[in-house]
Amino acid sequence: MLVNKELCIGCGLCIPYCPVSAITIVNKKAVIDQDICTECGTCGRKNIVKCPTSAFYDREDVTKHPRSIRKFFSDPTATHVETKVPGRGTEEVKTNDVTGRVDKKHYGIAIEMGRPSVAASYRDVEKMTMALAKFNIEYEPCNPIKFLFEDEKKGTLTKDALEQRVISTIIEFNVEKDQLVPVLQTILETGQTLDTVFSLDLIARFNNPTKMPEIPELLELGLEPRPNNKINLGMGRPLKEA
Amino acid sequence: MSHSLHRRGSKCSLKDDFVLLVTPAVNINHKDSGPKLWKILNIVTEVGPNNIGSYETGTIYTGVTIDDIRNNMPETPRVRCCFDSKDSMFEVLKRIKEEDLGLSITVSGLNDDILDMCQELDIKPHSVNYSFGIHGATEKLPPEEVLEVLTMCGHGMISKNLVAKAIDQVKRGKKTPHEAAVMVAQPCVCGIFNVSRAEKLFSKYIEK
Repeated sequence: MLVNKELCIGCGLCIPYCPVSAITIVNKKAVIDQDICTECGTCGRKNIVKCPTSAFYDREDVTKHPRSIRKFFSDPTATHVETKVPGRGTEEVKTNDVTGRVDKKHYGIAIEMGRPSVAASYRDVEKMTMALAKFNIEYEPCNPIKFLFEDEKKGTLTKDALEQRVISTIIEFNVEKDQLVPVLQTILETGQTLDTVFSLDLIARFNNPTKMPEIPELLELGLEPRPNNKINLGMGRPLKEA
Repeated sequence: MSHSLHRRGSKCSLKDDFVLLVTPAVNINHKDSGPKLWKILNIVTEVGPNNIGSYETGTIYTGVTIDDIRNNMPETPRVRCCFDSKDSMFEVLKRIKEEDLGLSITVSGLNDDILDMCQELDIKPHSVNYSFGIHGATEKLPPEEVLEVLTMCGHGMISKNLVAKAIDQVKRGKKTPHEAAVMVAQPCVCGIFNVSRAEKLFSKYIEK
């Protein structure tokens, strides 16, 4: 986003709304740091920030590659040029009852880079995907990050992507059950080298409808699920039970 | 994405916080799902969500009504909303089950409460997306009292500075907890931010 300096009155109303603290006041005018801005669009939403002079406007290249990477991974109202899908992720557990994407022999993993509140550079994302390369992971084909790989087997991303920064981006894949612990160990170790945070998701299937699925080996890694999670109720049809 | 996952806070503060998502699966049951989604949207609006919105209009906390949201929904609407009581969440699920529409339903909330509702309604849950917390450079995170508010927007649209401002304004008596909760709810464009819960969280900052 950009600020029309002719219109801006420097009131600073917009500053606390920016999720990545990209807005400052310089010489009594709001200025957006273009390296930090993720193009999420919040400052320009007139029913939210209510800029008194409507001084925010889109960059001309905001929907053109590579600036579009920021927009499509940061603004939930935008639809990816690359995938034609809105949002940063996929249907994940939301439709697992009919897609069977995560079956009973696998777990689904998602590493939500930059979430919450910190944002992520694709240089950090590449650190994670390169560390995971030794597992020959096949990334979720519908996840838009697939379009940012230079060499998926090596986990390297395109030069254009490496220059971008987004609110969050999701590294998403399935693992065989016996690969779970080494994969998670690698994720946690790589996390120590990052300049950002990530939220960790794991999709598992119910065996007993009255009891949450248990994954005891995760306790050895110091991982315990939160008491609140996201449950697919199995009401979709046709149902994938395998 | 898993935008309704990873809500932070104690079990006590999460007990009245449920997010409902209804999702047609592309290339499986997406075709002709529009009328079914409208039926569910009708159920949701009759029971009364705490928050609901759409990308076309914004949420009920940004100056539009539920009728505005309904009238501007696309042919195949997405149902994303939240409820601030187990009773209302239960009522919605009960009525969706009676309709037997065959669309995928996910509920985010406390495991115990969701399993209770499933047992009572004879629903057999299929899969869970577990949150295993936040890792990496966690020293960059804002304080937990800020996180428990801003993680109610899973798309990351709510700034830590806005939550800090809201807390400060409540402490100084410049805003009521409800006004502060509405201010913070507005950037969440899809409408899963639980304003009642935020209001309770902000209430603890009122000077006694």
